[in-house]
Amino acid sequence: MKRKNISILLLFLLGFSNFFEGCKSSDVDATSSTSTSTGTSTGTTTGSTTSNSSSITTALSATATTTTCNSTGVAQIVCLAEAFKATLSSTQLAATQLTYSKTNAQKWSNLPAGMSARIGINLGSLSDTQLAAFRNLMVAVLALGTTDEGYDEMIGNLVADDYLNSIGGGSTYGAGNYYISFLGTPSTSSLWAILFTGHHYTQPITFNAGAVTGLTPAFRGTEPQAAVTAASRTYQAFEQERVAFAAMLTGLSTTEQTTAKLSGSYNDLVLGPGQDGKFPATKSGLQVGTLSSDKQALVLKAIKLYVNDLDATTSAAVLTKYTSELANTYISYSGTTAMSSQGDYVRIDGPSVWIEFSYQGGVIIKNTPHSHSVWRDHSGDYGGN
Amino acid sequence: MPNSVVLLNVHANRIDAELQIPLVELQSAWGHAVNDSSAGLVERLGPQLRAYLKTHIRPQSPDGQFWTVAVGALTTHESQNPIQGVYRELTAQVQMIPPAGNDVRRFMFHYDVVLHQVMTHKILVSVRQDWERGQLAESEPVQVGEISLDIVNNRILPLPINRASGSAWTGFMAMTQLGMQHIAEGTDHLLFLLVLLLPAPLLTTGQRWGRFGGVRYSLKRLLLIVTAFTLGHSITLLLGSIGWVRLPSQPVEILIAVSILASALHAMRPIFPGRETWVAAGFGLVHGLAFAGTLATLQLDAGPMALSILGFNLGIELMQLAVIVAVIPWLMLLSRTPAYTRVRLLGACLAGLAAFAWIAERVYGQSNSLTYCIEVVANYAPYGLLVLALLSVYLTWRAKPLPLA
Repeated sequence: MKRKNISILLLFLLGFSNFFEGCKSSDVDATSSTSTSTGTSTGTTTGSTTSNSSSITTALSATATTTTCNSTGVAQIVCLAEAFKATLSSTQLAATQLTYSKTNAQKWSNLPAGMSARIGINLGSLSDTQLAAFRNLMVAVLALGTTDEGYDEMIGNLVADDYLNSIGGGSTYGAGNYYISFLGTPSTSSLWAILFTGHHYTQPITFNAGAVTGLTPAFRGTEPQAAVTAASRTYQAFEQERVAFAAMLTGLSTTEQTTAKLSGSYNDLVLGPGQDGKFPATKSGLQVGTLSSDKQALVLKAIKLYVNDLDATTSAAVLTKYTSELANTYISYSGTTAMSSQGDYVRIDGPSVWIEFSYQGGVIIKNTPHSHSVWRDHSGDYGGN
Repeated sequence: MPNSVVLLNVHANRIDAELQIPLVELQSAWGHAVNDSSAGLVERLGPQLRAYLKTHIRPQSPDGQFWTVAVGALTTHESQNPIQGVYRELTAQVQMIPPAGNDVRRFMFHYDVVLHQVMTHKILVSVRQDWERGQLAESEPVQVGEISLDIVNNRILPLPINRASGSAWTGFMAMTQLGMQHIAEGTDHLLFLLVLLLPAPLLTTGQRWGRFGGVRYSLKRLLLIVTAFTLGHSITLLLGSIGWVRLPSQPVEILIAVSILASALHAMRPIFPGRETWVAAGFGLVHGLAFAGTLATLQLDAGPMALSILGFNLGIELMQLAVIVAVIPWLMLLSRTPAYTRVRLLGACLAGLAAFAWIAERVYGQSNSLTYCIEVVANYAPYGLLVLALLSVYLTWRAKPLPLA
């Protein structure tokens, strides 16, 4: 009888364990989204994908106003950078205005910022006024007016990442997780850089003594590769590049393709983030100088889709250089020439230019390839610093 | 793309390696649709896979001689990382033996599985266990290098492995430390013993615990109980470690929780008076089986295993002794005061509650709010000891204590 009482007491005590709720490990809801993406994705039958735009991409899509900065060239960019800085609070400014160092300049990746931390301030923390000032600056450094190229390509890239956020990628993805910083104080006399970097988009612009000294390493890519619609616009930020490479390779003769084909397989970029300055000592593949002029033009067309993302003045000088070096530039590939299957890879390696494009397995959208690409310059990465 | 992982277990005269190879990358290198149709892969392509792996794993001693490589068990399973999400991989157990007279700790690791074809693949090489250096599989593997394409020169270089030599003494000491750590962190083992000792200083009067039985009486009973527990777990630790007795860990862990419940009930009311020694020995056998599980996972050769059993057991005893020496004097002081009944019942109730929580956790394989609480509370054990000491001194001073003898 007494022994029974003890068992009852213990059972009673066990019941009290419910009062220990406060001790429970609190699971942080990792999927709670801070992004404003509404993400009402509608299924598609046409192969293109659809998503609503976030307030960020809407703000960035509005027409830019540069009237406050009447100057031209670097002086205007400095003026617009200062105008953007003027909209920031002191804490925001401290995060955005950093010192120039190679270490800071190297803080980019092809992973979302949540998996590989960036420096600077993220678009998600900017007000509409601040976003407008950021837009005015980017519009001045990137090319305007071409669908899916230049500034429009940047918006399309953000729209695609918003889409990944909405279909289950979670808050790690989306336009809010792209970062802008100034490395060194913007000026027309000293060394400084704009670094805009996020998941599938990194664009640095290095300035020194009032001139642009570097536009690389620039990372481009997109998932999904298919079209994404936002605010009644359809973006396919990185499809023209893929199509241009396919045209360049399928345009070659069978013999030329054999020379261009690499023996190894490539499931990602060779000179991606963290692989600075490791250009192969010997160039592989097919020398462009041995090709007919129409085939050479196809190579140049692919290169232009990278260089011409920058504003016309800046890109013209770079393009002149790459064109003059075209004959000594090599192209190579792995996989198929159609650049449409997982594992397809292409490279352009010149005396100065280095472009790689890798069509690789999907991460958020499984079993569907997506693109990674990097544009580097043998001597001009980080403005030669 | 996910990378490969090679985990080395360094023995006296061979290295056991575990390879983890993502199937998506293996397919790019080797084909055979290993990723597209990974079900039944080992049954379908086992011999070819072994032959392929052997061709691309070639450790070489400094004198130029290549090692003998044998590919053992192959399995496929799902893996996950935050960047790639879920992916499938092949795990292979590989044995690498240097030619006679060559050092197992110095070699060039020629390894290009997948990488011979997929130029963007990366292989992370780590040492998971090196007993003679005191590194045990219990802790995190230590990375020794990465094998990847030398992009500038377009070649794949072997990874030089050069491990400083260790000694049996270092291995032994590491095991002693592991034993001590095992008890220090093994709240359940300690709780069983402490609760069993709770009524040890008391005499039994009929169906109830009586008054303090004197220092001699208490010490004699303590010594018997602790020795019996030690004997019990030493026997199964030995038998379990050399593989004579193997029990699945779940029932063993449940039995350990039950043993705490039994000793808690006994601390409330004598349910096995005078037979504490036998009960301690019996449950000692159970606790020893759990200790053996730790040793068995190290997969050591006979010599190091013998030293490990010795060192591990020594560590367990040392820590056990330290805890008993720290707690018992206060319990004996307290047991001479009238308040001891309440202290004993409170201790027994809390231990019983913990036992129930652990039983639930181990039956359902899922921790509950109570076991989480125990983990948190256990971190404050040193303060608990301080409180116990202060309490016993205070109560002894306040109450008219019973004579010591």
